[in-house]
Amino acid sequence: MKFSLKDIAEPLIFFVILLLLWEVLVEIIKIPAFILPPPRDLYVAFVDKFYILYKHALVTFMEAVGGFALSFVLGVTFAVSVVYSRHLQNTIYPLIVILYAMPKSAFAPLMVIWIGYGLFSKIAIAFLVAFFPIVVNTVVGLKEVEPELLDLARINRASELDVFAKIRLPNSLPYMFAGIKVALVLSVTGAIVAEFVAANEGLGYLILQANYSLDTALALVILLILALLSLLLFMAVEILQKKMAPWSAEVRQLEGSF
Amino acid sequence: MAPLIEAEEVFKIFKSGAKSVQALERVSFDVEQGSFVSLVGPSGCGKSTLLKIVSGLLPASSGSVSVAGRRVEGPLENVGMVFQSPVLLKWKSVLGNIMLPVEFARLDRTRYLEKARALVRLVGLEGFEEMYPYQLSGGMQQRVSLCRALVTDPQILLMDEPFGALDAMTRDELDIELLKIWDGKRKTALFVTHNIQEAVFLSDAIIVMSPRPGRVIERLAIDLPRPRSFEMMSSSKFCDTTLRIRGMLASASGNPAAAAGSTT
Repeated sequence: MKFSLKDIAEPLIFFVILLLLWEVLVEIIKIPAFILPPPRDLYVAFVDKFYILYKHALVTFMEAVGGFALSFVLGVTFAVSVVYSRHLQNTIYPLIVILYAMPKSAFAPLMVIWIGYGLFSKIAIAFLVAFFPIVVNTVVGLKEVEPELLDLARINRASELDVFAKIRLPNSLPYMFAGIKVALVLSVTGAIVAEFVAANEGLGYLILQANYSLDTALALVILLILALLSLLLFMAVEILQKKMAPWSAEVRQLEGSF
Repeated sequence: MAPLIEAEEVFKIFKSGAKSVQALERVSFDVEQGSFVSLVGPSGCGKSTLLKIVSGLLPASSGSVSVAGRRVEGPLENVGMVFQSPVLLKWKSVLGNIMLPVEFARLDRTRYLEKARALVRLVGLEGFEEMYPYQLSGGMQQRVSLCRALVTDPQILLMDEPFGALDAMTRDELDIELLKIWDGKRKTALFVTHNIQEAVFLSDAIIVMSPRPGRVIERLAIDLPRPRSFEMMSSSKFCDTTLRIRGMLASASGNPAAAAGSTT
């Protein structure tokens, strides 16, 4: 994809105008700073508390990425086993569906009882919310194989292992990446919610602290940092996808330009 | 020459729950070794099903198919298959796709890589070896698919409307190329199509099938000289043959007006 100067300038100008409007309107209407501080205050809060923000962001990042990594490893393993084992499909899968129907973040208080107050209860929640998109997408990707491709494999006497390694697994990559993107953003949310429930570090904890002292500027800064964190993770996956499964993104674009 | 493929009284009934659909009824035919035979019939007449039964991908409900005197009971060894869609692996290059049967069969890579490259040259895809399917046009993708079917040098080539999804010009081009390749290798070829002209142009013999349940209406020998060229399409023999087939198909579907009205 190519950006023209206009594509970069337009949103940039728009955001600058938005910030200026915000700054001016807050001043004119005299909105109290604890309800909506001007952007200037956000900047000051960011600079003043940079180290604290960095320290807590790192904790949340570890929790989210830890939970995600766990969900990826277990999710893909589970998806493969469900696709290949009728027994698992009949036994564990219904259990998973019930779990899926529960609000995962509601497990956060329980996790404190089960796992404790520290990092691992947050990783557990991040894992829980990220697990399902990975499983669902990987299962679909493993199953959505052109039937003729399987005929071709049978005609050529491909082994079951070959069909998995050379057809089903690569076929599932674009689906898996779609799941990974959703899972990563969700795992950040999961970590924050878990921190809301019980924590003494992390951006979720810091938001609560900012709230208690009516430091709205700091709370808003944290939200922006969280957005940035999710975006960075999302973009990293996008780059990885272009490397590992170029056909998933490019197929449609190229068809359009031919 | 003895027939290589023999189908005897093949019936095929698809059952799903209480419903059952009869796809094939008492289908018998044979294909001589080294000949090019087409199955022609209206869509839904079971010709693709028949091809799958011949390849061993589907079992017949009753009756039997044998290849080289041996009854077909599972996927055949050394059969090349071309489908209507190219069915290429999106994550493999042209060469990688062509080599897929070699990988599956765990054959000697280096030896077959040479064959693959020769086939690529034969179908005019030189320079595209490292390209990926999404970078190729439909006609080129189907050429890759043809190479893949031929790379292990199979005895039989089964083709299920391989050029049916392509535009008329590309199809003509590929028909000519297919004949060129077939002339060089003389594989026994079984070709499914609903395009009568294409069938007459390519084949030594045509098996005309009725609408569902598919039965063999007639087997016609096409004695046009080889190599075939497009000029033959305007010869009276060619026209007579296509008209005859069209008439058979029309009366089988109980609609004689279709014979006079269609122009394809």
